[in-house]
Amino acid sequence: METIIDSLVQFWNFTGFANASWQNLVMILIGIIFITIAIWKEWEPLLLVPIGFGMIIGNIPMFPGLNIGIYEDGSVLNTLYQGVKQGWYPPLIFLGIGAMTDFSALISQPRLLLIGAAAQVGIFGAYLLALLLGFDPNQAGAIGIIGGADGPTAIFLSSQLAPDLMGAIAVSAYSYMALVPVIQRPIMLALTTKKERLIRMPAPRAVSQKEKIIFPVVGFLLTAFIVPSGLPLLGMLFFGNLLKESGVTRRLAETARGPLIDVVTTLIGLTVGASTQADKFLSATSIKIFGLGLLSFVIATTSGVLFVKFWNLFLKGNRKINPLIGNAGVSAVPDSARVSEVVGREFDPSNHLLMHAMGPNVAGVIGSAVAAGILLGFLG
Amino acid sequence: MKRNRLILAALLLAATAALPLRAQNPTDLRISEILVENTKGLTDDYGERNGWIEVFNNSNGTVRFAGCYLSDDPADLKKYHIPSTDRSTAVGPRQSVVFYAGGDASKGTYYTNFKLRRGTTVYLVSNDGRTVIDCLEIPANLEADKSVMKVPVGIKAMDFQVKENAVPTPGAYNGDVDAKTKSQIMKEKDPTGLVLVLISVSTVFLSLTILAFVFGWIGKTSQRMLDGGGKKKRRKAAGAPSPEVATAIAMALDQELGGETYAAIALALHQYLASACHDTETYRLTIRHAASGWNNKVLNFRQLPKK
Repeated sequence: METIIDSLVQFWNFTGFANASWQNLVMILIGIIFITIAIWKEWEPLLLVPIGFGMIIGNIPMFPGLNIGIYEDGSVLNTLYQGVKQGWYPPLIFLGIGAMTDFSALISQPRLLLIGAAAQVGIFGAYLLALLLGFDPNQAGAIGIIGGADGPTAIFLSSQLAPDLMGAIAVSAYSYMALVPVIQRPIMLALTTKKERLIRMPAPRAVSQKEKIIFPVVGFLLTAFIVPSGLPLLGMLFFGNLLKESGVTRRLAETARGPLIDVVTTLIGLTVGASTQADKFLSATSIKIFGLGLLSFVIATTSGVLFVKFWNLFLKGNRKINPLIGNAGVSAVPDSARVSEVVGREFDPSNHLLMHAMGPNVAGVIGSAVAAGILLGFLG
Repeated sequence: MKRNRLILAALLLAATAALPLRAQNPTDLRISEILVENTKGLTDDYGERNGWIEVFNNSNGTVRFAGCYLSDDPADLKKYHIPSTDRSTAVGPRQSVVFYAGGDASKGTYYTNFKLRRGTTVYLVSNDGRTVIDCLEIPANLEADKSVMKVPVGIKAMDFQVKENAVPTPGAYNGDVDAKTKSQIMKEKDPTGLVLVLISVSTVFLSLTILAFVFGWIGKTSQRMLDGGGKKKRRKAAGAPSPEVATAIAMALDQELGGETYAAIALALHQYLASACHDTETYRLTIRHAASGWNNKVLNFRQLPKK
């Protein structure tokens, strides 16, 4: 009888119930909220479902030493986590993004690239604020990149500059990307007049296939020569786009934008979620990161909209740009462009801004990769 | 046209040749430090004190140096052959290895068959036995227990300057061992972060402005070629709905298919309608109706022989 009781006690000590802490339960609850939001509200479900479930996996209380935890060398989760830790998942995602993105909107109106550049101010504004809060420059750089609204870039940069903060940064970046419509709309309305919201922009010209093929090659050469440290992201982004546009690598392009990106997105979401173990995640630092992440999104949106308003002072006639596409300079594709369209139609149902907003939107992808390269060059 | 292509190819070749290409191979190795008279310093695996040669890997990848040579005689560059079969002969990125110059190579791979002398030059030679990868001259007045070393200089730490009678650091980095990280340097030099922000924002703008100018120019050239001579006329899409209607259709599809599909359809429809021409989209197949008569009832009837 005593043996049975001892065995039962030993078994109890192995269970999650015996090892649970309130922090684990909080994180599991947050994971469930992520999944609920993703399914119920359909906010970034492809990211929030894996991250949410990853949070649950990572916070199952367990007996240490079983070699199953994400931070235990050689465990299955640890092996999968290497793609995040070593930073090779994000470039693979960029390969897929390049293979699925049509840069026509940008090529037809290259001036809109500057809006993509203006929105990157969010990254550097958050960098300054993080320094003020006492973070080291490398940590501040990793936190600032949340303002790029680009999950893979945020993971890539934080894995290089501040691996210990990566979980909080990644979750913050993806969470705010899901909340783009909620965050950006009030800022856009506050910063624009009714007259500005009604500006109609001329239809962009058609883009030839030759231009589409030239774009990834020339775009890569120009950006990579200026910021070589952005090579992994820029290289994969433009390479993926060349696969798409060349017309002779159809199978490769389809794999990159289909099965490959799906597999990597699943793994990156799951492992980033699992990396948010309560003992490493629930801290005052994480709360600061979430606050700074929100501010970086606000600054990015504000700077994009204000930049267009400022630019309009020098433009005449139908060259004027509707400032409602200024928010699309952050690289949350196509969510922020969709916000431009929806807000624009609220004031003029026949004024469709989507195709114009897609230009700065994809410019934001390039801009955030360039910004990440610069930060890596200075602080890496 | 052919001439232009030739010029372009020549320019590309010239640009490639001008680039300082680097690869992780024995040419990245440097003789980084030499000590001739060792009375109280490093002992070898046999407990003996001899002169030594430190070889540093100046690259960011592991370099294998099996088969290379060490020599102190320019007339005999193959004096000591590093065994080509020894798999331990690799040095990690920015790391170094030490060869003991005791004059007895039978002790192992890292023991040379010659002793060091002041006033001579030590050569590291490639595995072809002819190409000198690097050399370091031993000063005639080098003191006992002092070394001659190459100290990394410059921001990339790839270039060196020779330092004589230095405190020996066998197997250790010759630069500043207390070197600060870039982040620490930035914290000291730019505590508020304003300089970095200014430079970074300018660089982002510069990159994208250059891109905008280049593609503005490419676009204009492309348009001129398209419009020139009237060779390719734009055709009007007959009976097509207006761009507004097209976008409205896309918005409706959003309910069914999701955001990405919505964005893609709206953009595609817009391009098709606004420019009134279908650009050569990849993977698009346009099927036009052409009467073949395959379903003509008359052709399906058995034809009775005419009397």
